[in-house]
Amino acid sequence: MPVTFIQILGKKLILQLKAFFLTMQEFFLFSVRAFMSFPKIIRYWRDALDQAAICGTDSIPIVLVSAISIGALLAIEVGNLLEDFGAKTMLGRSTALTVIRELGPLLMGLMLSARFGSRNGAELGAMQISEQIDALRAFGTDPIAKLVMPRLVAALIMFLPLTALSDFAGLQSAAYMAEHYHRIDPGIFWNAVYPRLVAKDFVVGFLKAPVFAVIITLVSCFNGFSARGGTAGVGRSTIKGIVVSSGLVLIANFYVSKIVLENM
Amino acid sequence: MIELRKVGLKYGDREILKNVSLTVQDNTIKAILGPSGVGKSTILKLMLGLIKPNNGQILVDGTDITGMKETSLYDIRRKMGMVFQGNALFDSLTISQNLGFFLRENMKLPEKEISQRVAEQIQFAGLEGYEDQLPESLSGGMRRRVAIGRALIFKPHMILFDEPTAGLDPVSSKKILSLISSLRHHNNLGAVIVTHIIDDVFNVADSVAVLYQGEIIFDDVTEKLHDAEHPFIRSILSDKILEL
Repeated sequence: MPVTFIQILGKKLILQLKAFFLTMQEFFLFSVRAFMSFPKIIRYWRDALDQAAICGTDSIPIVLVSAISIGALLAIEVGNLLEDFGAKTMLGRSTALTVIRELGPLLMGLMLSARFGSRNGAELGAMQISEQIDALRAFGTDPIAKLVMPRLVAALIMFLPLTALSDFAGLQSAAYMAEHYHRIDPGIFWNAVYPRLVAKDFVVGFLKAPVFAVIITLVSCFNGFSARGGTAGVGRSTIKGIVVSSGLVLIANFYVSKIVLENM
Repeated sequence: MIELRKVGLKYGDREILKNVSLTVQDNTIKAILGPSGVGKSTILKLMLGLIKPNNGQILVDGTDITGMKETSLYDIRRKMGMVFQGNALFDSLTISQNLGFFLRENMKLPEKEISQRVAEQIQFAGLEGYEDQLPESLSGGMRRRVAIGRALIFKPHMILFDEPTAGLDPVSSKKILSLISSLRHHNNLGAVIVTHIIDDVFNVADSVAVLYQGEIIFDDVTEKLHDAEHPFIRSILSDKILEL
């Protein structure tokens, strides 16, 4: 009996591993095709502009809200901690580093994973189950060039200014809290920010934008294209897209920081 | 002409098609009849190269498309029009935009000609006055006519219908069938109709292939279907609609 149970378990495990590697292979080919269709941007630039509005300008409010709240909280908590060591004047420096290197891009990535990624997953998933993607293929249009590549281009372009906006809003709210909560003179705060920032700090932060753009767009679009099983299937693929891309954003955030900080 | 030679297809352990061979001649209407879920729609997708068979060959106008790359298939697919079971209209585009979508997408035609072709299809499908409506605001029959118009606008050699009357009321079904019949007379088109409604076959098809348990059990002119002796065909002739 236990032998049979182990055999069944082993078989299931092998099947799941097989399915995992097959999915990875499909995702790799899907990603390659998305990048290979970049020259078709000349034809689909209007689609890219539409997507830029969706992932860029339409995402500004959510990026601002998250950056402002985290910047303010960071200033309060770090300020309290630094006060214990009598180093409150270092608040500008520590906040700037945390926001520009880590929290600004990370929050922007997570917010866009939820907003842009969920939209991609749901929209493309609905198109998949209603055979609209098959219709594109049936009538001679490459669905990856038409639907995925413009989203990828738009994300690659728009994630950079959104990261800058997230950094700016986070620092401004931190400066505001430094002045009004910790009673630190704005001059002292900003003096601890600007002169000490080096190129490395910006490289760490802004390198994450294109990495997150690729992860979020490709994962969410791939899951949309893989949707099966009616409306419930669309829900499942959308959730999967958000969960996987958010997880990958967190992992990529760590590795980009590690690699750049160790090598620059 | 479309030809399937000993085509086999499996989904996991499930064998969908077993050595299916059939030919669709130009300027004729061929029906593929069979119960739901037997693999009829799969045959249409195989003809378009949307899915690949496990074995056998698929030839379109003499060209073997079985191992063709996706990008090479686009030119082949433009010779055929497809009407999907759920219509597959782009729900965010108006009827005119849906009709003109693939012309703008794939053919370098002047906008004037595109508008002219769209107007022709609007008239052919009897959808005057609905040009600027979204698909969701139309009835099922009207949506199906838009889908037919979209497939025809390319001026294809062959048009593939996936359950063209499924889910429609009798009046709309009649309209769709007469629209399909008129294609042969007016446009000299070949067509493949996948259906589980036997009356549709007798109404429009020149020949019929019956698919049962993954195999073609009958393939001949429609009139000869009455003489077939296979027990499954005898049962469907008495039941008229196949429900399994």
